Amino acid sequence: MMIPNRSEYLKSLAQSGQKIMGVLPALYPRELLWAFDIHTAEIWDPPGEILHANAHLQTTICPIVKRSLEFILKEPEIINAGYLFPHTCDSLQNLGTQVKDLIGVNVPVYTFYNPKGSFNNTTTKYYREILQNFQTTLETVYEPLNPEKLLSACVLGHKIDSRLMAIQQARMTNHLSLDNSAYFELMRAQEYLLPLDYLNLLGKIDILEQAIEPARARLMVSGILPPSPEVLKFLDELGVSVVADDLLAVSRRIPKFPMDAPLLPLDYLTDRFFILPPCSTRAGDLEERLHHIDKLMQASQAQGILFDIVKFCEPELFDHRLLVKTLRERNIPVLTLETELQAYLSGQDKTRIEAFTELLFDMVSA
Amino acid sequence: MVDLYFAGVDVGSLSTDVVIIDGGSNVLSEVVIPTGVNGSEAAENAFNSALGLAKLTRESIVAVTATGYGRASVAFATGKTTEISCHGVGAHHLFPKTGTVIDIGGQDSKVIQVDSQGRMLDFTMNDKCAAGTGRFLEVMATRLELDLDELSSPLNISGESAPISSTCTVFAESEVISLLAKHTPREHIVHGLQRSIVNRIWSMVASIGIEGEVTLTGGVANNQGLVKLLEEKLGLPLNIPENPQTVGALGAAQIACRKY
Repeated sequence: MMIPNRSEYLKSLAQSGQKIMGVLPALYPRELLWAFDIHTAEIWDPPGEILHANAHLQTTICPIVKRSLEFILKEPEIINAGYLFPHTCDSLQNLGTQVKDLIGVNVPVYTFYNPKGSFNNTTTKYYREILQNFQTTLETVYEPLNPEKLLSACVLGHKIDSRLMAIQQARMTNHLSLDNSAYFELMRAQEYLLPLDYLNLLGKIDILEQAIEPARARLMVSGILPPSPEVLKFLDELGVSVVADDLLAVSRRIPKFPMDAPLLPLDYLTDRFFILPPCSTRAGDLEERLHHIDKLMQASQAQGILFDIVKFCEPELFDHRLLVKTLRERNIPVLTLETELQAYLSGQDKTRIEAFTELLFDMVSA
Repeated sequence: MVDLYFAGVDVGSLSTDVVIIDGGSNVLSEVVIPTGVNGSEAAENAFNSALGLAKLTRESIVAVTATGYGRASVAFATGKTTEISCHGVGAHHLFPKTGTVIDIGGQDSKVIQVDSQGRMLDFTMNDKCAAGTGRFLEVMATRLELDLDELSSPLNISGESAPISSTCTVFAESEVISLLAKHTPREHIVHGLQRSIVNRIWSMVASIGIEGEVTLTGGVANNQGLVKLLEEKLGLPLNIPENPQTVGALGAAQIACRKY
């Protein structure tokens, strides 16, 4: 599986004249942007040292926000169509305000205030309206939207969703022969590949007819981003397979169940938003999230859960304590790691992961 | 099986401990030496000393389990297991009714829940900071010009306790300097330091709860003042092993035997 390098791929796209918008986490109407021929490059955890961003942010702000600001302050040339700040949490919303009104960048800054709470008349009406408003905003910058292009973009998004669902299902049932590192590299490629390129990549993934031998221990991961490549590699070495996830960057952005092919784009996008899995960043119901985690654990036969929590991630930390408490009461092994999105694995975290693996192996052999 | 011999090697941040047992779980020798800068060399030296004490040759040891932060550096080990599992197994071996193990190690502390077989059920570990660990006490002992024995002697167990931060070793050291400058009696400071560690441990215990008897392991279990405060805080008597520092190595030796 050859996945293009993120930075080189985006540079080459920008050089070819492609419009590229830098999009902050996590939920945004990607199809609407695609319909305007704007490519979305998601900004989650740009590598490098955080220096200048610290001058603008409090110490208790999460590393996703800090790293994003550090990236934005460098005014990278690949981002030529502006930045989009969805209202994922207060810190990202504030960052949007800071970048737009205080810091200032040489490209447009957009905000998108996702509704909080579950599906009801008010939230759906609101969501549809903000989609319409965002469309109007983009039309003032570019040109009137061609409805056919929006429908095509929705069809493309629908195909990607369907393929991702099939791959996730295959992962849970041992019909995919990718190790942890390769699997999450594939999942994260959606953050920067053109949708057609990504769909082609997904199409090349073999879903096996015969189930393969399951790993010695099976794990579900929860949190914002997939565990770092160092953690995934270590899990691979230990013989632990991550078979399901409840990650904002991955499965919480894929509908819970298949949708009909789109006919009316804005209705389709609205429906899609409200059938995404429960999520702390949308003030989702905790019971519903627990139920969703239960279902994933059963379907994947995962024996434990690894919470990979981004330091100071407020929405996630609200849910985390109660989730862990409830899961422990149900005798489900839980491990929590706190990450600052660093590119190394500390000795203590290695010991935590290894001890947790020993616990899972003991459970399997008992 | 009794004629077979097994070893556990625990390469910790402060000390390297080796325990040799026979197949009947009888301890033949125990050695504790400082780890220094070379964990691999410390493991070799401690292992050789333990073999000498047990009057055994290297070839007579059929399995060696390495544990501790330096477990990967023990070239002669036949297996490796985390210190978390090893402390659970070791504590359960010494006190079979153990349901909870509190290990206060050199660079980290853990609370481990074990089942009736000594298998780990759950655990929690302190975060990156050294507060609540043996290192914390070592730093403070240096600052107070006391050795570790003096730090734990009953003479230093005072009813009065100076307020010390429980969140950071570096800040706590600054607080100790300020307290010394104010001529606060050393025993009050020592008491405050012990309380600070106990509070730190308590928060970890609270996060996973207590089951069964509680066994305290790690060198800090030799600190009488701290043990007394921890018992008060938990409202329970603690099992204190005769050699709390070697419980991890003992557990490692048991695991080597079980896996053989």
